[in-house]
Amino acid sequence: MGELVIRATVNGAPRRWTVAPGDLLLDVLRREGYWGVKNGCETGECGACAVLLDGEPVNSCLVFAAQADGRRIETVEGVAAGDRLDPVQEAFLDHGGVQCGYCTPAMILVTRALLARTPRPTEDEVREALSGVFCRCTGFKKPVEAVLAAAARLADARPAAPPAGRKPARKAAAR
Amino acid sequence: MFDRLRAFHRPATVAAALRLATAERRAGGRGAFVAGGTDLVVQGDGSLRWVVDLSLLPLRYVRRRGAGGGWTIGSTTTMADLERSAALRRFADGVLCDAAATAGSPQIRNRGTIGGNLANASPACDLAPPLLALDASAVIAGGAAGARKAAGGRRTVALERFFRGPGRPALNGGLLVEIVIPAPPVPRGGRAAWAFQKLGRLQSDIAVVNAAAGVIVGSDCRCRWARIAIGAAGPTPLRARRAEALLVGRPFDRDAAQAAAARAAGETRPVSDVRATADYRREMSRVLVGRALDECLERMGRDPWASW
Ligand SMILES: Cc1cc2nc3c(=O)[nH]c(=O)nc-3n(C[C@H](O)[C@H](O)[C@H](O)COP(=O)(O)OP(=O)(O)OC[C@H]3O[C@@H](n4cnc5c(N)ncnc54)[C@H](O)[C@@H]3O)c2cc1C
Ligand code: FES
Ligand code: FES
Repeated sequence: MGELVIRATVNGAPRRWTVAPGDLLLDVLRREGYWGVKNGCETGECGACAVLLDGEPVNSCLVFAAQADGRRIETVEGVAAGDRLDPVQEAFLDHGGVQCGYCTPAMILVTRALLARTPRPTEDEVREALSGVFCRCTGFKKPVEAVLAAAARLADARPAAPPAGRKPARKAAAR
Repeated sequence: MFDRLRAFHRPATVAAALRLATAERRAGGRGAFVAGGTDLVVQGDGSLRWVVDLSLLPLRYVRRRGAGGGWTIGSTTTMADLERSAALRRFADGVLCDAAATAGSPQIRNRGTIGGNLANASPACDLAPPLLALDASAVIAGGAAGARKAAGGRRTVALERFFRGPGRPALNGGLLVEIVIPAPPVPRGGRAAWAFQKLGRLQSDIAVVNAAAGVIVGSDCRCRWARIAIGAAGPTPLRARRAEALLVGRPFDRDAAQAAAARAAGETRPVSDVRATADYRREMSRVLVGRALDECLERMGRDPWASW
């Protein structure tokens, strides 16, 4: 068995790719022009390569392309509607959450996944959600502010939304 | 990185996964099972020729075990599934949820599985201490040893015997199907508590040391049953049996907890590496076991600082 054909939905559009059995999703996405998916460490540490797989953030450097067959992938390219930025993107710009921008696509995506699950997150929940995306520039303060602002903006725009998020998972942190 | 990989199988059943692995092994060439890939891909073994992907197997579940109580957890259940499981949160003080919630970043927990965590057999894996403190067993299908003898080709191995050394699980090429947790033997009028502790450079890092404790006391407040498990402090995750024995039969209080923690540290066999020296690991084993037992005391409703 040499190459294999996989089918996935990327940002809502069906895609069909021929890949080698050992290809990783990060490399295939970049090869196919999704350059918002960044290559940082290739060891699962930095999160720059994060995409949403069936809505959940994963590091694409640790996923075999073959494992994405039949699944739904979202990259930052699918977030804005044409020239109209998503409220999460707007909030990152408004709150200075973007400097060099290398971590930004991943930050935007993990934020969208967080807000889909927990529309009104606490600051702790925001920090937890961003904890797997390393930012060398901002020190995280401004991205955290941006996510909280985006959550508030989205909640205002959607008054009928259910009130509370899920209960935060209790953590057994090293003291 | 995986340039020599020539086959990527995606079976839908355990039987098909075992058949494919057996056929590939006969044909020669190195290969592996893969679940979330968060250990396998990072290890980056470029000599792999084939992979059998487990992600389509129907093994992503957390189920109650019949009438007697206890739980069965399918091997491809992710760390995030465990972390968020409302049912497991209510079981054993949520000790499994707490441990799963510290295993790497959210993206890692969305991929990494309980089966991969155990099958990778790292002495530092975070699910081993709580599972050891719950007397868990591994159900294994196929593989070279013993498969034919056991009913339905499956065998059950107590988790303590599952870890044979760093990176050496007792799988013999078999597939880890599920983890079984028996109902804890809490007597009428008794109380039980569990706790997990981890020390890492960051909370989500691989543990320098991790530990879990479980204690059951009777209505007389004497300890009936105790489990103390420590990771990253020896070639495998280990149970501190002499420390457990020190607790059983005595009133469970802070003095007993501190004595047990000191003894548990003496049962570790740590090594020095990039993360910590052996001495530091031994000392932190004492500290973490002490904290876990204190937490058990607190959860039983006792002030850990008061003698009673
Ligand atoms: C950045 C980062 C941080 C991490 N932090 C932590 C941490 O804090 N704590 C921690 O414990 N771990 C941590 N890990 C390690 C890893 O995420 C976990 O061990 C995870 O649970 C592995 O599961 P997986 O499904 O990804 O395993 P895989 O990588 O798919 O497999 C691991 C090994 O197990 C074998 N295997 C998998 N499933 C089975 C099965 N059902 N039957 C037989 N063999 C099987 C594979 O062949 C392979 O050898 C981290 C990893 C990364 C990359
Ligand atoms: S490139 Fe994937 S986590 Fe860093
Ligand atoms: S903005 Fe530069 S890494 Fe985050």
